[in-house]
Amino acid sequence: MTPADRLSTTFAALSDPTRRAILARLALGETSVSELAKPFDVSLPAISKHLKVLERAGLITRGRDAQMRPCKIEVKALQEADGWLEEYRRLWEQRLDRLDDYLQTLKAEAKKATPKETKGERKK
Amino acid sequence: MSVKNSIDLDTDPRSIIGTRVFEAPRELVFAAFTDPKHLAAWWGPDGFSLTTHSFDFRPGGIWRFVMHGPDGRDYQNRVTYDEIVPPERLVYSHGGGDDVEPVQFTQTLTFAALDNGRTRPPGTACSRRPKRARA
Repeated sequence: MTPADRLSTTFAALSDPTRRAILARLALGETSVSELAKPFDVSLPAISKHLKVLERAGLITRGRDAQMRPCKIEVKALQEADGWLEEYRRLWEQRLDRLDDYLQTLKAEAKKATPKETKGERKK
Repeated sequence: MSVKNSIDLDTDPRSIIGTRVFEAPRELVFAAFTDPKHLAAWWGPDGFSLTTHSFDFRPGGIWRFVMHGPDGRDYQNRVTYDEIVPPERLVYSHGGGDDVEPVQFTQTLTFAALDNGRTRPPGTACSRRPKRARA
């Protein structure tokens, strides 16, 4: 899978409130499927289906123990999603910082060019 | 203390809404977004330079530009202006073409005048939306 495809899978897996709640629970520590299912008003098979989606997206792994198969959160996929968001956050923050600097330069230039008109901006 | 920067993720679940205050008159901030000479001076990103190939500033018009990366790679970009209301509002869509970077989003900039010649935002509402069908 390319990184972009992986992100699609990650965000698709995250686009469900039950799956996000499962991840929130797993962030506290690994646990069994039946334990995970407890707070939800859905059947065990439904929970298993959600877990499969999360597992395919690399957001969780399942233990080998046939009886328990405890679930564990995997942070790497979440980090990739966060990194993707961070890029945009940083891009616009830096961009608007540069705009800020540039506006100050423009203002200083305008002041130099027409020193007397700076106060006459408001006319009715 | 006044907040210069803020991000709102709650108002519209499909948008990222950012707010920024500039110590500059609204007309000047609007001009900085709508003149290719100005845009080249600050658009970036950091370490990038910008060349505008065409700039057709009217509703439906297109801004074609290349961002030259610090690694020597050129990034082709296309911005289509959807709405232009000087000096208060600017809406444009980024992307839309096989020859440009596969980044699709629509951005709404709202320029509000504050006291003492300050400007808030550009309120940058940027919402990603599914690719529109192209003829």
